[in-house]
Amino acid sequence: MLPDFKVDYSPTIEHLIGRLLPLLKGNYPFRPRAVALLLLQGDREIADLTARQEGPRFRQIQVIVKQAGQLSPPLSSSIALARHRRAQAITREVMGKPSLRPLGGLVDWLTLWPPTAFPILALILYYGLCRFVGGFGAQDLVDFIEGRVFQAWVSPIARELAARWLSPSLADLVAGEYGIITLGLRYAVGVILPVVGTFFFFFSFLEDTGYLPRLALLADRACKTVGLNGRAVIPLTLGLGCDTMATVVTRTLETTRERIIATFMLALAVPCSAQLGLIIALLAQSPLALGIWVLVVGTIFLTAGHLADRILPGPKAAFHMELPPLRLPVMGNIIMKTTARIQWYLVEITPVFLGTSLLLWFFDQRGFLQLIIQALRVPVQRLGLPPDAAQIFLLGFFRRDYGAAGLYDLRANLSTAQLTVATTTLTLFVPCLAQVAVMVKERGLPVAVLIVAAIIPLAFLVGYSLHHLLGVLPL
Amino acid sequence: MGSPNVGKSVIFNYLTGGRVQVSNYPGTTVEIARGKMIWGGISLEIVDTPGIYSFRPITFEEQVTRRLLWTEKPALVVHVIDAKNLERMLPLSFQILEAGLALLLTLNMMDEARRLGLSFNVPALERALGVEVILATSIRGEGLPQLREKVTAHVARL
Repeated sequence: MLPDFKVDYSPTIEHLIGRLLPLLKGNYPFRPRAVALLLLQGDREIADLTARQEGPRFRQIQVIVKQAGQLSPPLSSSIALARHRRAQAITREVMGKPSLRPLGGLVDWLTLWPPTAFPILALILYYGLCRFVGGFGAQDLVDFIEGRVFQAWVSPIARELAARWLSPSLADLVAGEYGIITLGLRYAVGVILPVVGTFFFFFSFLEDTGYLPRLALLADRACKTVGLNGRAVIPLTLGLGCDTMATVVTRTLETTRERIIATFMLALAVPCSAQLGLIIALLAQSPLALGIWVLVVGTIFLTAGHLADRILPGPKAAFHMELPPLRLPVMGNIIMKTTARIQWYLVEITPVFLGTSLLLWFFDQRGFLQLIIQALRVPVQRLGLPPDAAQIFLLGFFRRDYGAAGLYDLRANLSTAQLTVATTTLTLFVPCLAQVAVMVKERGLPVAVLIVAAIIPLAFLVGYSLHHLLGVLPL
Repeated sequence: MGSPNVGKSVIFNYLTGGRVQVSNYPGTTVEIARGKMIWGGISLEIVDTPGIYSFRPITFEEQVTRRLLWTEKPALVVHVIDAKNLERMLPLSFQILEAGLALLLTLNMMDEARRLGLSFNVPALERALGVEVILATSIRGEGLPQLREKVTAHVARL
């Protein structure tokens, strides 16, 4: 005797199941209800098997499945939610537990109910990203490691030793303007490590509480409009820490199509934390300018994602994730995970930074560097910026935040409108060299070239339009 | 079957006397292992599957597991779950039941669950799901003789 267990789904889902059941006349190893549920969630393997069994009826089945695919919130998340609730109810009934451990059902519910869920999310992002990663990591820790340790001790000592022991050209490679120690190592360890380290800590903390899958569920809808599922939230959020690393993390996405869209979005419209911090600092004097920047970058993000979704062929991946319970995080776990991620980061990324140093040094030695900067002056002047700004765009290509930092030095000579144009163009313009290297590694050369080829003109076009548009506005 | 890293392979080895490699790392079992169990005059085939989180396969391993359920329609599915994470793992039990497969639910890792002060009302869980439930700590062999009895008894009834 088989038990007659049933999870009750929402009336909409039950209605769709009810319409499918009479059409499933074939002989299936699973109950028709289970087959119907899998079909409604867009399961292709099951659809193929059904098509074989049902012949002409499959047409009608497809119509219903297609309708189900357009539901909002997506049907697979409603199903996951219904199961989660039932599992929660049963667990509460049969499991006795000490009062402290999993956080109460109220908190659980608050993180999922949209009117409270979004404010909670905003708070988490504000304190986690802006205050902890942006403030403590990007400012305090960077000031200490980069400023006090590298600028004050490591770099001068390296320069001193290199000058004493090496030929002038080799000394430049080790400790010159673009030197392995004075630029490569300083950036990898002094600037990026504190930022991504704090970000990893924040991320591991969220992971250990069980909040991440909830975040994915919440963002699923927002992401669908961009053609991505909720899983993409993780790499896109990571991009706010470091786009290079986030591009590596797009591996967690299910389909090649999603990986390409996410890689493109990261390269185009997700500023990394170091860049973001500097941009906010640059535009802070004018809320209007900051607003324009947010509006333009946000619009580009949504439009580009939407278009990429339309243009790229391939099936949309279905989002599915069972929700783990929320619980109090365990410090030991967080530290373990953070350490593991930092180790992974150092192994994976450091060679890229060192390679950048090597390339810049080589270009500088051969005089190419000045040539490239010269060539960049033309488009830069088209944006209504002084020729000096050309250098910024080149530096920005090597390091996102380096470009923004260069702009920081120039800001006294720029009007608010010029600053807005420059920051917006710079945000869109470059995936930094490390990011391009990782893009080639992860997506292959043709895709990476296509993405870069799409971004550079797009960035200048937006900057150019903005320059003319802002001429009309009183800034 | 069950999620990765819940002790399926230990149970498989106990039932079949086989030697599937066991490690404390999710996803160690990447292929289906088959073995024979002879007990109480009944001979059955036991299948150890790669870990699966849900019936909607994302990874290749999950696809393999689901295809196995679909094509071979097992006489009984032993769903092994981590007792500590009952709530998170029950949805897969629901899906096995929805599919109309016979289920024997095994709450494994009871030693860790007890250490956390968790206790389980087995009759209530059996009532809620309409299937038999076993408590086990597979690495110490706790609950496994009982599991073997129930599996044999279920097959004998067929």
